Amino acid sequence: MTVNALESIEGFRDKWPFAARYVRVNGWRMHYVDEGTGDPVLLLHGNPTWGFLYRDVIPPLVNSGRRVIVPDMIGFGLSEKPAREQAHSLDGHIANLTGLVRQLNLRRATIVCHDWGGPTGLGFAMSNPERARALAVMSTWAWPTPAAEFHTRLFPWRIMHAPLVGPYLLGRHNVLARRGVYLSVVGRDKLCREAQAVYEAILPDAETRLLTWVWPRWIPLDDTARAQARFAWLEAELAKSRLPTLIIWGREDEVFDAATFPERFKRLLPHADGPHMVTGRHFLQEDSGPEIARLIAAFLDRLDKRGGA
Amino acid sequence: MADVAVIAKPAAEGTRQALVLTEDRLGHYPEFRAFFARAFDLDRVGLSEAGFVRAPSGMAYALVFVGRSGEPFPSGLEVYAIVDALEPLDDAMVDKDLWAILGWMIGGVGAPWSVEDLQATGRLYRIPAAG
Repeated sequence: MTVNALESIEGFRDKWPFAARYVRVNGWRMHYVDEGTGDPVLLLHGNPTWGFLYRDVIPPLVNSGRRVIVPDMIGFGLSEKPAREQAHSLDGHIANLTGLVRQLNLRRATIVCHDWGGPTGLGFAMSNPERARALAVMSTWAWPTPAAEFHTRLFPWRIMHAPLVGPYLLGRHNVLARRGVYLSVVGRDKLCREAQAVYEAILPDAETRLLTWVWPRWIPLDDTARAQARFAWLEAELAKSRLPTLIIWGREDEVFDAATFPERFKRLLPHADGPHMVTGRHFLQEDSGPEIARLIAAFLDRLDKRGGA
Repeated sequence: MADVAVIAKPAAEGTRQALVLTEDRLGHYPEFRAFFARAFDLDRVGLSEAGFVRAPSGMAYALVFVGRSGEPFPSGLEVYAIVDALEPLDDAMVDKDLWAILGWMIGGVGAPWSVEDLQATGRLYRIPAAG
């Protein structure tokens, strides 16, 4: 039904011509696309998007000689959407990604992370360093203190996903895919023309939107948070990591604000390339997809020339 | 907005309970669980009966509390509209009622949570019931 709804959106296939592939991970059906040949590049989305977020990034990366793999997180996109909150955990999502990478037997993978694709993708890379070649981070975080000042505010963040309020606003009214994405891009006309209907149609019913309010509840705000220990581990592992890393950020990002977050990643990973600032708010791929692809391809070209990793 | 009242169990004859909202993690912020425990005397009542409220439309809603091993009670909550047994829901009316129930809940939970913040959030996200 979801696929039919997408197909009925004018121009959808022009923007998303990629073959759907599926694999079963941790008992769930995971959708992914797998295009091109060469060293693998994994493009990881977050909340409430899916692989479609990378539609302008995939073709240039493929044309640069890379194999581009874009999974939909379990709970989003064309992947299976569990019906219960208890089906989701940060560790579980890291394990889901690990299941995909092992089944595809990927090596020398570059992990490109956005939003919740950060904690999951970086968690995968730190626990499977033999399969990772490089990292790229965009509008995400990897430490246990409150992710951003934005996430500590009652209005509009914490009240949006409070008990019962979350299922009402994000479930019944799909506000994150409808209004949330819209408010977090620079080019809103372009979003409305190209993508808004797709982001809404992929989450057609309240129960399919579960993860849109579950993920916000996994952001640690204090020492009692469920994911506190995992984020502390992640930060410590990243601090030891020597994996080549690329930092890309949206100049207009207000969620993981551009003034502090890229610099914090730079302090955590001093060897990182960047930060490279592009036009964009939180969903910077919507505004700067081709430029992001160029930055990633150039970064990987430099690694290739160095014979790196 | 908070024109919601706790009521006694309404007559069930000729009605059905239609599930309209589910919360799997009522204690995500523990003060929300504490509010419902206070409002419905749940430390005494436990799982023996649901709680009931009347919403601004006049329709009654059943609040069914869910227990989960290893977690404080209640761990979850299901909201049911009590409607004529064979009639479909008036979804717009239910939506307004649910918004009012959320306002009643936030008001009952108390500071730092506020109905004003809830209303502002509803307006930001263009929820029809938020005006």
